[in-house]
Amino acid sequence: MKALSSRRELLLRLGTGAGIAALTGQAVASLRSLVPNVSYDAPTTVKLGLTAEFPDGLKFLPEQRLFVFREGNTFHAISAVCTHLGCTVRAEALPRPEEKVVEGSPLRLTHRFLCPCHGSQYSGDGGNVSGPAPRPLTWYRLSVSPDDNQLVVDLAAPVEPAEPDGRLTLA
Amino acid sequence: MAEPAIQKTPETAPGVHPKPFWSFRPRSDRESGDAVVSNFMLHWFPAKVSKASLDWSYSFWLGTASAALLLLLVLSGMPLLFLYIPSVERAYASVKDIEYVVTFGSWIRAVHRLSAHLMVAVVVLHLVRVFLTGAYKNGAGRGQKRPVNWVLGVVMLLLTLFLSFTGYLLPWDQLAYWAVTVGTNIASSIPWIGATIRELLLGGRAIDQPTLIRFYVLHVIALPGLLGILFIYHMWRVRKDGGLARADREGVLEQKAETPPGPTKTYTLLGVARGQAPAIRAASLEARDTTVNAVPDLVRRAAIVVLGTIALVGMLSVFFRAPLEEPANALVTPNPAKAPWYFLWLQEIVTDTTVHIGSFTINGAFLGGVLLPGLLLTVLTFWPWWDKSPAAAAGVWLAKSRRRQNLVFLAVCLVILVFTFIGTFLRGPYWHFYWPWEAWPEIPGRI
Repeated sequence: MKALSSRRELLLRLGTGAGIAALTGQAVASLRSLVPNVSYDAPTTVKLGLTAEFPDGLKFLPEQRLFVFREGNTFHAISAVCTHLGCTVRAEALPRPEEKVVEGSPLRLTHRFLCPCHGSQYSGDGGNVSGPAPRPLTWYRLSVSPDDNQLVVDLAAPVEPAEPDGRLTLA
Repeated sequence: MAEPAIQKTPETAPGVHPKPFWSFRPRSDRESGDAVVSNFMLHWFPAKVSKASLDWSYSFWLGTASAALLLLLVLSGMPLLFLYIPSVERAYASVKDIEYVVTFGSWIRAVHRLSAHLMVAVVVLHLVRVFLTGAYKNGAGRGQKRPVNWVLGVVMLLLTLFLSFTGYLLPWDQLAYWAVTVGTNIASSIPWIGATIRELLLGGRAIDQPTLIRFYVLHVIALPGLLGILFIYHMWRVRKDGGLARADREGVLEQKAETPPGPTKTYTLLGVARGQAPAIRAASLEARDTTVNAVPDLVRRAAIVVLGTIALVGMLSVFFRAPLEEPANALVTPNPAKAPWYFLWLQEIVTDTTVHIGSFTINGAFLGGVLLPGLLLTVLTFWPWWDKSPAAAAGVWLAKSRRRQNLVFLAVCLVILVFTFIGTFLRGPYWHFYWPWEAWPEIPGRI
């Protein structure tokens, strides 16, 4: 009698366990299917146009959310993505350009950047000045494509704001 | 040969309900109870409810009003389900069609939006009422689990907010796009797991079609379904905990009243002879002067609240059209980019909480967007277990024994209100501070 009841017990537990395992497995499979295996991101290396198309000073490229600066033959690129919560900052021209030495090389600051979402403020070299921004705006590596002499930005390569990575000087 | 006469089933028999409906105007207690028992829609009502718990000024019927708003949201959501297209290319145009082309479309959308806004407000007020009356506390009844219902309520408040959030994303206008940007970046500010959570929410690394369809499915199926299940459980628990907290207080704490001999009670001859039986001193929920029949008294008031809410929203929606911003534009962040009013206190907090300690920086997104609200939520959720006031404080407005916690709670509410006010009225372009009488400067369009 005891043997029978314990066999029942065993089968009951086996059955319940199998049921729970089956449901859990299917739930896990269903939820796992929602974790993306691939992200069809926009390419990170982007041709921005011929260098001649960039005026002295600032050009905003909304598609890449990028500011490209030109000072004579020297270019640099600063991200327009606020480091606080990812809104696009806006550039505001300074009444008088300032000279600043950034990482050992002089830089002419013509603008400052303001975020419309939470009021972060950045200086012309991207430094976070006030507001909730935790970090400076990101600088990206610029290069010139060998095939058609277009300016190329590598949005996957944040760089230090100094020569040789951060600043591109054309020969 | 004559056929045998078929015996007609008698109209009344045990378990037989001869009429297709039930009476809302019962002529006896039995008919009244029958209305509850035989009606599936009413079976979660008790046969009798305490008079005091029906008071307009005790509960303000805020829970019922939020349920009415939920009903209205489901109803007004139905036609929108047929008309809205969850695609990044067509979502905005379909909402625009609902607003400007579809007959009564703008009214239906206004009803849906207004109910959503009101539901956030009413659910929060319901929470405030429950806190200030200590209604999350177990009172006199045996086996009550009111704290469980409080936790359910907090979860339902979160669901309401998440439903609102997913809802205002669907038009795929500027508000939607930048709300997703900021909202998911708050999630990604969580150390270690943040990026994964953001990717899971977006269905990728960029805001695109997978994002919209995720929020859409959450909005129309997952969240309302969950909310519906929790709502049913919430109501069931109210019933199992003996009704509103005020009711069980009344059953035990108040002066016992003498109950005259009732027609349904039987008394022993000996009891009558000794004068014991009629002199039952009782204050049970059965007592005639403290309770009323659920049908019609409770049903009537519930109907007034539900129909009143529907009427109010229906009429207001004629005058308050739902706005639609410009189409989502990943290239331009609006200036200022403001969340809906119920999230503005959070927007204000994430603005103010970036902390620099030496070279070490904590992003306000994490501190003010995750940690602080998380802490607030944790304290709120587990408050019933921290509240050590006596059971007598359950169901009493601003009980003396709970004075200090009520004051702290109101202070927190006030801070949230102040932040909401600042975010709504005192923040202009670039989230700069402006007094209401100061004009906002002209900001040139694009950069």
